[in-house]
Amino acid sequence: MDNLELRISKFLRAGVITAGIFLFIGWMSLLFANGSSFTTFQTYHAIPLSESLGAALDARSWTILIAYAGLIILISLPILRVMLTALIFIKQKEYLLAGIAAFVLITLILSFTLGIEL
Amino acid sequence: MESILLFFISIFGGFLGALLGLGGGIIIVPVLTLFLGVDIRYAISASLIAIVATSSGAAASFLKDRLTNLRLAVLLEVGTVCGAIVGFLIAKNINSDYLYVLFGFFLMFSAMMMLKKKEDHRATVDHPWSEKLKLAGKYTEKNGELVHYKIAKVPLGLFLMFFAGILSALLGIGSGIFKVMAMDGAMKIPMKVSSATSNFMIGVTATASAGAYFLRGDIRPEIACPVSVGIIAGSWIGARLMPKLPAILIRKIFVGVLSIVAIQMLVKGFN
Repeated sequence: MDNLELRISKFLRAGVITAGIFLFIGWMSLLFANGSSFTTFQTYHAIPLSESLGAALDARSWTILIAYAGLIILISLPILRVMLTALIFIKQKEYLLAGIAAFVLITLILSFTLGIEL
Repeated sequence: MESILLFFISIFGGFLGALLGLGGGIIIVPVLTLFLGVDIRYAISASLIAIVATSSGAAASFLKDRLTNLRLAVLLEVGTVCGAIVGFLIAKNINSDYLYVLFGFFLMFSAMMMLKKKEDHRATVDHPWSEKLKLAGKYTEKNGELVHYKIAKVPLGLFLMFFAGILSALLGIGSGIFKVMAMDGAMKIPMKVSSATSNFMIGVTATASAGAYFLRGDIRPEIACPVSVGIIAGSWIGARLMPKLPAILIRKIFVGVLSIVAIQMLVKGFN
C-alpha cells in the first residue's frame, strides 16, 4: 500500500476523533446552558450561519463556538481527503486522475457557496 | 429531555448502521421528524453531518482493506458532487411535504433492496474510459483467491452517480444503496469492491451539500452535536460487535420496521 494512503487513513481517524471531542464538549455545555428541549426546531426558521456565529462571538458564548468548531472540522475532513488524493496522483504522475480530483475539489468548494444567500 | 434521548437513539442508529451496512440517514431523519417532531429541513442537515462523521471514520479503515478502488472513487465523485449541488438547489425550492413523501418512497425502496439477494456480476470487457484511466483492479478473496475485475459502462455509472448525489442532498442520506446499484448493476463491479468504494465516496457526497446547508444555517449544533457524537460512538461499537451478532435476523426485523416507518412518512407528507 502507498505510504500516503496509510497517512490519509490515520489523518481521517484523528480528525474524526478531534471533531467528536469538540462536538461532545459543545453539546454538554449547550445542554447545561439551554436545556434539552427541541420545541424551537418544530418549525423552520432560516438563520444564516454568519448571523449565528456573529451573535455567538459578540456574546462570547464559547460553548456554541466550540460546537461550531467541531462541525467545521468534520466538514473539512472530506475536502482534505480529496486534496490528499489529488496529491497521491500527482506523486504517481497520474495527471489525468489528479485533474479529476482537482475538479471534484473545486466543485465541492463551489457547492458550499450555494449556502450563502445574497 | 429530547437532546439526551436523541443522543442514545443516535448511538443505536450508528450501531445498527454499522451492523447492516447502512448510513445513519435512514434512521436519523425518521427519528427526528416522526418521533421528536423536528422540521424535516433540520433533520436532513443534521443527518448529513452525521454521515460525514461516520464515513470519514469508515474511509480510514476502508483504505486499509485494499477493496476500495481509489481511482474509480475519484472519477465517480464527479457525478455525486455535481448531483449534490442540484439536490441542494431542489431542496431549497421545494415544499417540505414533498420531502416526506420522497423519503417514504426511499424507505420502501431500501426495504425491498435489503430483501434482494446479492449476486456478483462480472464484466468481460473493459470500457474504453476504464482502460484509459486504468480503473480495473484486483482484490483477494477470504480464501486467498486473487480476483481481477474489469469495469463496464463507465458513462452510465457516472450518470447514475449524479442521481445518487441529488438524492443524498435532497433527503440527507448517504445514498449508498444507489451507489452500489450503479457500480454492481451497471458497471458490473464485484459486490465487495462496490460497497467498499461506495462507503469511501459517501463522505465527499454528503459534504458537498452539508457545507451548503451549514453556511445557510440549517445545521444547528443543538441537534447536530448529539447526533454526530452518538453515531460516531454507535458505529464504533457496531463494527466491533458485528461478528458476534445474528446479522441476518436483525436485517429481517429492520426491513419490517423500515416498511412501517415508510408508511408513516408518506402519511405525514400527504396530510
